[in-house]
This record gives sequence, C-alpha cells and structure tokens, in this order.
Amino acid sequence: MRFLPALLVLAAVAAGKSIDLVTLPDRASVQLTIYNSEDLTLVRETREVALKLGRNELQFSWANTLIDPTSVEFRPLDHAGEIELVDTVFPGAKPQHLVWTIDSRYEGMAKVEVSYFTSGITWSMDYTALTDAREESLAFRGYVRVSNGSGEEYENAEVRLIVGRINLVERIAELAQRRGLPAPAPESQLFGELKRDSAKAAFARAEKCEQAAAKDIVKEGLSEYFMFSVSGTETIRHGWSKRMQAVEADGVRFETLYRLREHQYGPRPVRFFLWKNDKAFGLGGSPLPDGRLRVLRRNTDDALSVLAEQVVAYVPIQAPIEINLGPDERVESEMVRNSVRRYDFRFDNHPRRVVGWTEEAKIEDRVRNSRDREIVLELQRVHDGDVEYSSEMETRLFDYRTIETRFTIKPRGETFYPSTVVRRHGASQRQNRVALN
Amino acid sequence: MRKLFLLALLLVVVLVSPAGARVKLAALPRRERIEIQLDHGAFTLVEEERVVPLLKGSNLVDFSWAAAQVDKDSVLFRPVAVRQGEAFRALADGEVEVANVAYPPNENALVFEVLSKEACAAKVRVSYLIRNLQRAFAYRAVADRDETFLSLKSYLVVGNRSGEEFPGARVWAGFGGRVEAGPNDGDDVRILLDRAARVPVKKAYTFDWYAHGPLSAEKPFASKVLMHYVLRNDEKNGLGRFALPAGKARIFLEDGKGGEAFLGEDWGLGTPLDDEMRLFLGEARDVVCTRTIEKNERRPVEGNLFHQEIKVRYEIENFKDKAATLDIVEQLNNLAAEYGARAPGDVEWEVLEGSTPGLRLSTHKGCALPALFVDLAPRPKEGAVEKRVVIFHVLLKNLWN
Repeated sequence: MRFLPALLVLAAVAAGKSIDLVTLPDRASVQLTIYNSEDLTLVRETREVALKLGRNELQFSWANTLIDPTSVEFRPLDHAGEIELVDTVFPGAKPQHLVWTIDSRYEGMAKVEVSYFTSGITWSMDYTALTDAREESLAFRGYVRVSNGSGEEYENAEVRLIVGRINLVERIAELAQRRGLPAPAPESQLFGELKRDSAKAAFARAEKCEQAAAKDIVKEGLSEYFMFSVSGTETIRHGWSKRMQAVEADGVRFETLYRLREHQYGPRPVRFFLWKNDKAFGLGGSPLPDGRLRVLRRNTDDALSVLAEQVVAYVPIQAPIEINLGPDERVESEMVRNSVRRYDFRFDNHPRRVVGWTEEAKIEDRVRNSRDREIVLELQRVHDGDVEYSSEMETRLFDYRTIETRFTIKPRGETFYPSTVVRRHGASQRQNRVALN
Repeated sequence: MRKLFLLALLLVVVLVSPAGARVKLAALPRRERIEIQLDHGAFTLVEEERVVPLLKGSNLVDFSWAAAQVDKDSVLFRPVAVRQGEAFRALADGEVEVANVAYPPNENALVFEVLSKEACAAKVRVSYLIRNLQRAFAYRAVADRDETFLSLKSYLVVGNRSGEEFPGARVWAGFGGRVEAGPNDGDDVRILLDRAARVPVKKAYTFDWYAHGPLSAEKPFASKVLMHYVLRNDEKNGLGRFALPAGKARIFLEDGKGGEAFLGEDWGLGTPLDDEMRLFLGEARDVVCTRTIEKNERRPVEGNLFHQEIKVRYEIENFKDKAATLDIVEQLNNLAAEYGARAPGDVEWEVLEGSTPGLRLSTHKGCALPALFVDLAPRPKEGAVEKRVVIFHVLLKNLWN
C-alpha cells in the first residue's frame, strides 16, 4: 500500500535543472507513539535510501494528512558520521513538501529515520471492577483503546502509548494546517478520493492480526511519564479503534469507607471503595492512566448489578485508589440541633442595637446503618467564623476550620456523635478558625 | 525555471537628457556576494556587493526593484574598493564618491550619481532594509536516559516573503558565524546554527498553590506539580557562546532502544549569558502535594491594625522511583489577602517557631514569594511511600481592613 507521506530522492541538484524522481523508498518500519493528554502522535519511519557522494536532495511530502511540518526530522541510522543534513527548505510554492539538502561522504544504500508529529490518533483507558456478592474483593481490569481518525492507514506499526500530561505550545492540527491544505472532513469528496484500492488488502492483513494471540503490554517509566508498549505490531485502519487489555488483578481485597462531608459530597454519607495501586493488591506494575471505571457486583444468582461509573484520575504506583460509589440507601445520617443559647451581647449606643453575640449550639449527628455488616464512617464538617468546638468523642482538626472524626456503626445499628459549637458573631468575632477544646 | 532577480542594478552610461528620459541598460553587474543581517528582531538588512565599471567623471547608477519589499529610504550605496590588477584595494580619499541620489517619481528606483577620478572597476556595497524576510529560532534537545545531560541543537529559520530571491546568500543571526542559506521567495529554510553535545540539566519540580488552585473537586487540597528542565547558559555547562534567543524548544528523551520519546515543548525565553533557561515540560503526576491551613489566628495590635498568624501544612508524597526536590512557592500577598487583608504592596512577614526545623527557604523571586525546598526520597521497593510533612509557620505583619 502507498502511504501518504512520500520520500523522494531527487537526482539533479544543479541550479535551474528540472528535478527528476529517482526512487520511492518503501517504509521499512513504522512506530507510533501516541500521547493521551494531547492529540499528538510521534511517527517514526525507517527507510533505505540511495545516496551518492556529495550533495543529495531528499524531498519529503505528505498529502491531506495532518503533519506538523516544523516537527519533521531526518536522522541517518547507518553511516551517521558520514551523512550530514545541511539545511531543510520548505518551498512556498509547494505546500506539504520539504526538501533536505544532505552532504554525504558515503555512496550507497543507507538506512534513515524520518520522524514527525501528526494528529488524529488517540488512546484512552477504561476499567472494570467486578466485586463479589459480599463486596469484599474485586477483579480489576484495565483496557487501552487506540482510535485512528488521522486519515492515514497504519499497517504493521509498533505502537507505544504515553501516559502523562505533556506541555504543547501549539496544537499539531493548527500547525499542520498553517502551511498546507485543511484536513478534509471524512464525508467530503476529497476524502473519498484518498481511499486506496489496496485498502482491501490491508483489511485482509488486519483480520489476520486480529486472530493472533492477545498482545502483551509492556510498561516502563520515561521521565515523568509512563510508556505502554504493545508487543509486536498492529494494523489500525482509519476510522477504527482497537481495544487491548493492559491491567489485570484478581482477588483485590478493598476497604469500604463512608464519608460524610457536606461541603464536598453533599448532605448524605457517600460510600468509597479503597485500595492501592501496589503489589499487595496485585497491581503496582505501572501507574493507572486517567480513564472511565465501571464498578459492578456479581450477585449470588450470578447476575450483575451496576454500582457506579466514574472517571478515575491518574493513580501513581503505590498511591491509593478511591472509588466514589455515591450515597448508600442503607446508610442514613441526620444532624439535629438539640439546643441553642445566646449570650455576651454587645450593643451599639446610637441607637442601641445588638452588634455582636455569642451562640452555643449542642448538635448531635445520628448515623444509621441498615447493612448487615459493621461500617466505618468519617465525618468532616467546616465551621466558618470564630468557633470553639468540643465533643466527648475523639475529634481532631483537619484544617483551621474543619473538624474530623471517625467512628464505627454496628450492623443494623445506630451511632450518635454529640458536639458543642460556640460561635462569636458580628462585632464579637475576633477570629476565623475553629479552636478545639 | 529560476526567477530572474527582481532587484536590478543598472549602470547607465549616458547622462539623462534635459527632457528627463532615462537611458536604458548598459550593464547588469551581478551580485558578487549577498549577506542578510538578521541580528535585529524587527529589521532585516541586506547587503550586496557588486563590481561596477565606472567611467572617469560622472556616472549614473540606477538601482531599481519590482516586487521586492525594499524600504526605499534605507538604500545605501557605498563604494568600498577599486580593482588594481587581480586584486582590489581600498579607495583613496575622494577617488570614488557618491555625489547625490535622485528619486524618480512613481518608480521603485533610485539613481545615484557617482563621481570617479579615473575609469575603474569599483566594488560597491548596496545595503537596504527589506520587509517580510524574517527570522525565528527553534531548539531541539535530547536528554539522556538518566536526564542528567542533554544535547541541544539551535536552529535558525529564515522565512522569505519579501518578493526577492537570494541565491547563495550568507545569513547572520546576530551571533555565531554566518551560514549559507539562499531562501527563494515563499520559502522557509531551517539551518543548524549551533550544537552542544553535553549540557548538564536539572529537573525542577514546582508547586505553587495560588498559580494553579485545587487539582479537582475530588482533591480540593492538592494542586499541580510542574516539571521543568533547567539549564545554564555558560561555558562551564557546555554553552555560553552567545545569548540564547527566544524560540520554541522541543525536548526528547533517549528511550534506551536507539530511539527517542517526545517529552514536551515550551517557548524558551531569551536567555542571556550565565543565566538559566527553564523549559516547562508538563505535570509531574507522580509527585503529589496537598496543602492545608492548620492554623489561622489574628493578633490585634492597635485599632484595626493586626498581625495574622498562619501555619501552612504541606503533605508530599513522591511516587517516583527516583529522588526529587520539590520547590514550594508560597505567594504571601495572596495568603494575606485570603486570610487577613491585602497589604498595600508586598506583605511584611517573618518565620515563626513551629516551622519544620532546618527548612530551606529562599526569596530569590522576591520578598513576598518565598520558595521552600523539600528533598524527597524515592518510593521504596516495598512498603508504603513516605508522606513527608512540611510546616511553614509564618506571621504576616501590619495588616488592616
């Protein structure tokens, strides 16, 4: 199949002469490195070109594919010390072309690498967590899905996926379109003209690849990022996606915790499943990229129930994993103000009006557990203003204005958390913090 | 087919008739040398050298152009040498002089009257400013696998939309040597200007709460940790040959398999000699820092004047398999505004007991922008990652509402 980027070796270099095409070297190999945080793919192709002694010109062109022309690089892999890139010209009269002028002290075939940035290929992650009926352990799977919307067909490409957020100062698609034709819409006539007859042959080859064994995905750190390398090669046709399993862990024993944080989750307790991305939980081989997670439960009759679906943020190796399942109808809470008292009034004199006072409130949080197992609940509450706080149950300060406590509630039981809040209002307020007594 | 030069230097052998008609072409001296000076960011100066045969007495030299975007008022015509035998020698005083220059109406042309004491072949330099022949700079850095050194290539990109062609021209970017680049009209040419093989590089991790705010609703007390590569433009660090002009820098990392992986790009700011260049690559998501305010107490002074005592607590976890140093920037003016009152200018402050002992702190970015430096061990092979706690206990002084 002919690929859209073309590398031509130009025969005559002397000024004023027509340039003649000599050869169209085939791609020997292609590697795709796909960045999930941006629409960016680094393509590296190797080809063999015939070079003569002295000056050579290589023309690289691409048609209706989004390539960033400022990113195209030429690197000799053989005879590197004898082949030197003199300059790169982007002819104004020929968009989507560039010409490399090369000085060679070597004559013959040489392997070279051409690399460039393109856009339109993306990858994403999705996860499934399947708990047992008692919700005590789960099977965890992560799948990587590569989607090709680039307009180009990639056959037998080595695929690498980068996890992490890189910095780009300009979008690849914008750079590509600055010096050439705009990318055609898939439904346009122009796009239809780009389809190749040999696509049928590519489909046949792709089907063979899909019948092969499941691919290994090798993970390794790369500076601040992680690289997932798919073993072997892949063919990814334009418009298609491919999904491969990247993470697997069985029998993961997780902790269940309830959190009552009105300022963050609303007025009801929210259930969390907690475990870690480390070896103790059968994970820890790599960070877990951002992705969508579905939590399901296998019931006693082997049917499945959906417990939650949420977007999971990146989880480093050995970092905690927290899955928010939302409120649980079997765990309810209520906050009741049992008494209020106001005193230490301060007055303005002209006219005489209250401008400050102290208020003491006795509060009780009641949490009821209808489940048939003990649960742990963590309560956080923000108290703005000048506050003194006390409770007979163990309480600490999470930060200058937030109290935190944790307690268990027996199965089919209820727990009460009493507290006293003394707050100074108006002109009586001197501070903005909680003092824990 | 190559274009004809649009800029033409015509040697007029017969004086203009009293009726005003100009005599046409006698000779078309070719450009012996062209230099394009791109040392000024806003102006491009082209200097051409030609050998012009002159008669004894008065000669009219017609300099004209068609579509090239020459600034007419900038054109300078300078006789510099005269041929003597096979070589050229410097002019003697008054040997060849420009008497005046005329501006024909409605033409892209100038006519120089050149007086020569003897018939000779004179080397002249014609220089002029031209529009839309521009420069930009770009960098390509490749770090080694350990990220301790990188190779840095500096490129000059010359973009020519001036309407003129400059085959065989030499270009000077304002530093380094002159490079050959003959951009045709409409072309961009990218040339390697400089190469440094082994430049030491440091990775800097920065946390600045007020610059980026909360990471997400799920993690309201965490914020981004950014990673920069920092290199120094001096001889000791393999650079220091010239100030590094601003340009887009793309950074790659050797992947250990003969190839490279792209790490990110940034606009490198102009970096003078002996100064640091910081290149922002992206977020370091394996270094997690959360920030809470542990204490917030107002201390009245007099009337509405008060001090504000604040204890900031940072909890930092390094999930990387390498050690790192985190620079925590605390914007004290914003801290004062949030918890006390905005100071009229930079806030006064002092560090109180209760801060982490031995805390490394610097105010190199300004008195209200202290940076705390926290060394982090790599994650252990077994066991939990250490949660490093750092307390910054500070008194913000003399505030009022």
